[in-house]
Amino acid sequence: MAEAVLEVDSLTKTFQGARNASVRAVDNVSFSVKQGEVVGLLGPNGAGKTTTIKCILGLVRQDSGSVRVFGGDLRHTYPGALRHMSAVLEGSRNLYWRLTVEENVRFFAGLNGLGLAERGSEFAQLLERFGLADKKNVEVRRLSQGMKQKTSVVCALARRTPIVFLDEPTLGLDVETSLELRDTLRSYSREEGRTVVVSSHDMDVVQQVCSRVIIMSNGRVVTDDSVAHLIDLFRTRTCTVKLGAQAGEGQQQSPQQQPPQAATSPAGGGPVEIPPELAAVLSEEFAPAEVSGSTVKVTLADSRSIYRLMDLLKAEQLPIEEIDYGAPDLEQVFLEIVRRAAAGANEGASGEATRP
Amino acid sequence: MKPGVVLRVILMRDLAMMKRYYLNTVSSLVTIYVVFLITFVGMRAFTGVATSLAGSDTLEATIVGFFVWTLTIFAYSDFSWGLINEAQTGTLEQLYLCPLGFRWIGAFTIISNLVFSLIPIFVALIAMMLTAGRWLSIDVITLVPLIVISILGAVGVGFVLGGLALVFKRVQSLFQIVQFLFIGTMTMPQRLWWARLLPVNAGFGLIRTSMIDGVRLWELPLGEVAIALLVGLAYLGIGIGVFSACERAAKSRGLLGHY
Repeated sequence: MAEAVLEVDSLTKTFQGARNASVRAVDNVSFSVKQGEVVGLLGPNGAGKTTTIKCILGLVRQDSGSVRVFGGDLRHTYPGALRHMSAVLEGSRNLYWRLTVEENVRFFAGLNGLGLAERGSEFAQLLERFGLADKKNVEVRRLSQGMKQKTSVVCALARRTPIVFLDEPTLGLDVETSLELRDTLRSYSREEGRTVVVSSHDMDVVQQVCSRVIIMSNGRVVTDDSVAHLIDLFRTRTCTVKLGAQAGEGQQQSPQQQPPQAATSPAGGGPVEIPPELAAVLSEEFAPAEVSGSTVKVTLADSRSIYRLMDLLKAEQLPIEEIDYGAPDLEQVFLEIVRRAAAGANEGASGEATRP
Repeated sequence: MKPGVVLRVILMRDLAMMKRYYLNTVSSLVTIYVVFLITFVGMRAFTGVATSLAGSDTLEATIVGFFVWTLTIFAYSDFSWGLINEAQTGTLEQLYLCPLGFRWIGAFTIISNLVFSLIPIFVALIAMMLTAGRWLSIDVITLVPLIVISILGAVGVGFVLGGLALVFKRVQSLFQIVQFLFIGTMTMPQRLWWARLLPVNAGFGLIRTSMIDGVRLWELPLGEVAIALLVGLAYLGIGIGVFSACERAAKSRGLLGHY
């Protein structure tokens, strides 16, 4: 069992605005990250991701709560504890644009006491890996946005800290460059075994790079789970059933074969439609359910619910053409979780983290 | 952690920047000389005017006064300007991630600024002496420690302005006020007992004695050197204290990366 290298406990930060208005940016946030984990911090704008990261890095002073890095309380170990942490905070703005790529790497690694003499080959490898080797003597201002962003990531990685924070690492990148950076980050983090915390509202980044995701909304952690488990949970809970044409339609049916309540089938032998009475039962038992013509999309409460659904359809002798459990991506999971969290907050929920 | 590596990379960064922004480097040199030239010509045209800078009526004192004043401006403004620029470019928070702590980064930045500003200022000094036709004593062993002692107070003021820049972001107009205030603090007659308590005043007196009269460091009155050093350290301490308070406020209000 890997040890927790980062422990955040009850972190809270409120910013005072004009006229005594206050905004609770981070609200009682707790989580821990183990050695070698690649964790995604996901949330909409204003969810508190960046403030959480900045509190951990000591760039924003929290109101309460604690941060422990490798067991040491940051209140007592700061700034020395920064030898364990580096970050990309504002993408390409984290660089000196009038210095070359290599000069930037040397400078930021030097801030952690790493000199070119002992680390020169590592720097070269990093530049090679991120496709910057042939640009090392080019001033950053002359690079494309994607190259600048990569340089920023390389500068953070060159500091050789065991924990790396990447705040919106693909922000402002085109699809191709974003994909390329994601691939490099994924393979790099796996091979290096470093602990990486990626904050993003780009679901693809988190889904592809991270093994675990912490979803934040309104300053709170609403979900903390493995990406695979989350997607799996939502996959098994959503089920779409599509009805086909009535069996033997056009053929004579015996009275025993007639459904108790005849399902309507459009003229021309198309798929049967779900009777309104059944639609009402489905909506009640499998909420939230969507019934539309010959298709019903339901949410299964547990693994036995599918049998109940089948029983109901069977009782009506409705022909099932297709059952799709759905393969939600992280975006759907995220939207659903955030929607529920918002609904919970509106209903005056206690504020405890919601689990799917 | 190796502070030497940190100092080296800061020096390397500033050297590279000086080369990349060569026009700015050259123009700062030219500006120093042109302002001196205006002062010099004005002084010759209207005897007595502009000599207040020197605190006496001699041309040599004017040159020394101009030299120390320029150094003082560089000492207090480079650091605070640097902070404003770093916040604007987005690198300030990265500097704050140095495990040594930002105060060391600040101290090393000031040392680097001093090293790289001394070069153009000394070139300007030589140009001033050539223009005036007066040669002053430039004993490096005496002059460098006296410069360091003198500008401690200015660096303290730089920390205050830097701290204010962290919180209020735009403090450039204060720079202009402060540069004129320094003329007053430098040239306040030392016969007034409290004048030596003003930043740079005592140090400026010592530099003037050294450069005009050719007095070596060890020949200077020990009490005067001690006063200059203690006053400088006191202003530096106050400056760092104010900076720390402003830094806490900026972190508390989440302003560090703002511009």
